[in-house]
Amino acid sequence: MVIAATGEPDILLPPVSEFATTRDVTEPIFLKLADLGLSGNTVGDEDFQPQLAQRWEWDAPTTLVFHLDPRAHWQDGQAVTAADVAFTYDVYTDTVVNSPFRSSLRHIAAVTTRDSLTVVFRFRQRYPEMFYDAVYHMRIMPAHLLRELPRDQWRSTPFGRAPVGDGPYRFVAWKAGQSIELAADSTFFLGRPHIRRLIFRFTPDQQVAVIQLLAGDADVIEVLITPDNVERACADAKLACYPYKGSAYGYVGFNLAAPGDSTKPHPLFGDRDLRRALVLATDRERPLHNVFGDLARVPPGPMSQLWWVWDPEIRELPYDSAQAARLLTRLGWIDSDGDGIRDKDGRELSFRLLVPTTSAIRRQYARLLQEEFRTAGVDVQLDEVDFTLFNERARAGRFDALLTTWNTDPTPSSGFPQIWTKAGFGRSNYGRYFNPQVDQLVDRAVTSAMNRDQARRAWRSAFEILNQDAPGIFLFATENVAAVNKRFTDVTIRPDSWMALVRTWRVPPDRLTDRDRVER
Amino acid sequence: MIAWVVRRVAASVAIIWAVVTLTFFVIHAARGSPFLPEQSQSVSPETLDRLRRQFGLDRSLPEQYVLYLRNLARGELGESFVLRRPVADALADAMPHTFFLALAALLIDFTAGLALGIYQAVRERSVGDVVLGNVALFVNSMPTFWLGLVLLLGFAQWLHWFPTGGPSDPVLCPRVDSLPCLLDFFWHLTLPALTLGLVGAAGTARFQRAAMLEVIRQEYVRTARAKGLREGRVLLVHALRNALLPFITLVGLAFPFLLTGAVLVETVYSWPGMGLLAVRAILQRDYYVVTGAALVTSAMVVLGSLMADLLYAVADPRIRVRGA
Repeated sequence: MVIAATGEPDILLPPVSEFATTRDVTEPIFLKLADLGLSGNTVGDEDFQPQLAQRWEWDAPTTLVFHLDPRAHWQDGQAVTAADVAFTYDVYTDTVVNSPFRSSLRHIAAVTTRDSLTVVFRFRQRYPEMFYDAVYHMRIMPAHLLRELPRDQWRSTPFGRAPVGDGPYRFVAWKAGQSIELAADSTFFLGRPHIRRLIFRFTPDQQVAVIQLLAGDADVIEVLITPDNVERACADAKLACYPYKGSAYGYVGFNLAAPGDSTKPHPLFGDRDLRRALVLATDRERPLHNVFGDLARVPPGPMSQLWWVWDPEIRELPYDSAQAARLLTRLGWIDSDGDGIRDKDGRELSFRLLVPTTSAIRRQYARLLQEEFRTAGVDVQLDEVDFTLFNERARAGRFDALLTTWNTDPTPSSGFPQIWTKAGFGRSNYGRYFNPQVDQLVDRAVTSAMNRDQARRAWRSAFEILNQDAPGIFLFATENVAAVNKRFTDVTIRPDSWMALVRTWRVPPDRLTDRDRVER
Repeated sequence: MIAWVVRRVAASVAIIWAVVTLTFFVIHAARGSPFLPEQSQSVSPETLDRLRRQFGLDRSLPEQYVLYLRNLARGELGESFVLRRPVADALADAMPHTFFLALAALLIDFTAGLALGIYQAVRERSVGDVVLGNVALFVNSMPTFWLGLVLLLGFAQWLHWFPTGGPSDPVLCPRVDSLPCLLDFFWHLTLPALTLGLVGAAGTARFQRAAMLEVIRQEYVRTARAKGLREGRVLLVHALRNALLPFITLVGLAFPFLLTGAVLVETVYSWPGMGLLAVRAILQRDYYVVTGAALVTSAMVVLGSLMADLLYAVADPRIRVRGA
């Protein structure tokens, strides 16, 4: 099966990479202890599926014991043991390795071995997503191959270009800039996967990837992104389309601090009422349909469709241009010189919107928003820069507003605090939004709610307060559509990781082509 | 002649050094930080600092430059921030692809350009000359990436005559280690080479037509015809040899065009060459890959130009005499 991929992994070593393509390629190579079920429920342990762990039990409210499957083995023949799990936790939490997932493991106090097949997780406190934290972020690494590797060399080790895993597929070859090939492991302890080879074929351009698919040079594309691509692919007789919930949301984020000086408020966006007026002035449905068609929804706050807290009933500021105009006038922003742009004390209501040139969707959105704001008497100048510069300026707070997107985990617990609470200052909370009430509610939802309903209520309150504070205009939450050649059946896509269930995909014997029969 | 060659080689080295130096400072001066690639949004400030220290970016720019030159003298091109491997390895992977693409494009460029130019000159002002002249002008005006997309859509997606990209079929020919896989490689090479070669051929044809027209009006050509030589021999032996002199200059000039054109063609056809590597590196501020790519590319251009000069000296005795 040839997968048209638009990015190339940096390294095939999950603890040190957060690239989406690294996740996709390593998903079938390295296993977790257990994995998320199709429901996407991250609270409790009932919806998780065993992988390396055959079973588990709670010894105490904060002690979780995993029993490894004795059949599990590394692709070099060595058994997977509890020592591998303890080693993996040690690596993921090592400050020198500095894994991007380290902060997600902060509630785990220790991981120890009881015997060669039993491993014990001890948590600092009890909370709803303990099990999720224990299993979701870590892919178990082979201690016997990596123990001697100095921790400061993990980001460039040769193992990362030719890994040995324990999953259904083994690594075969990586041709830089071209492809990565995996082959089905016939000795995989949970059964040999049906598709013999997975080939990730890298292309620098999404449109070229779609052409490869339509021409039959590729069998699968993870996401078609634009309505035009969806129309072309889904109309093709040899392709089947599979819609699934997207993990991304996009928004205009206001900088609440003065650009380049986080100690002072922003001259415009430091004013909560002005931010609220701009949100009220924005018709979010219209640009969404122009850009995405039916492939996205307006989110009821900063959230992706993947999150279980998604709730259209969450209160938010509506589109109300009349109320926006009244509010702006009340704040003293009026068009005194008749040039169509409101002004106050000799200053025009004007700001710059930072947009990355690498995203066609965000550039399109930026122009549509620019026009919407113009009709409300607000001048928006676009700062279009390449992504590296976009990222640098965002981190340094050198912007008025930015149009950004986030790819999220399946739960708000890890991503949300980094972007919308004080914990994200200096990190991903670029606009320096802070409301102690929101922080408190998030903390309650993440750490002290005892069940899903309590957590949901806390999340809902946090979103509603945040929406009223208007730190941003929440524009879209994506819906993905994958296209797969119709030769493949039993195609199931888990929205948080589309490759997670590829082991179960198959090609019926009567549809096998010569290409499917090639062995490696 | 030897002194001339030594002077040219010394000048070439100086040019490469200047290109490397300029690239080094320009890419470092470009705003935007490495270690913040598009797919990675949440690198912590501590990690950024540590990576900067690890790659020596916490030192002053002159210090970094001196260190870079010192390593370069030892044949070390540094480590890629993004690819997490030595730059030399990344370049070694990419270079053959660009080389074969440029070579194939050059063949198409000069074979087609030469043939068309001669045909047009011989049939000056005929319908064929006018039509071909306009077609050549049209093709020559096309942006390379646009022609690439048109050929890709027409011949790959709609007609399925050629593959959509990449240097080989990743399923049947993961390595070029057999005759069928070698043929598969050439099959994959066709569209990218045509894209790059056709645009060049259109320019070459116009150039060659003018050169040929000038030569066939010379007295020695008339003399050859008066001696009763066949027209084919007059054109190919007497006229063409002299008309080829400016053509050799064109070979030298074609190299930079092919290498810059390759950047776009490699992107359209997912051809894993130097152009694609350099574009990605620039966007990701992968300093050492950018500088390494500039080094190799400038060396290729300088070498191409040097070879053209040498060929010119061989073909034209006057240059040999002056050079000596």
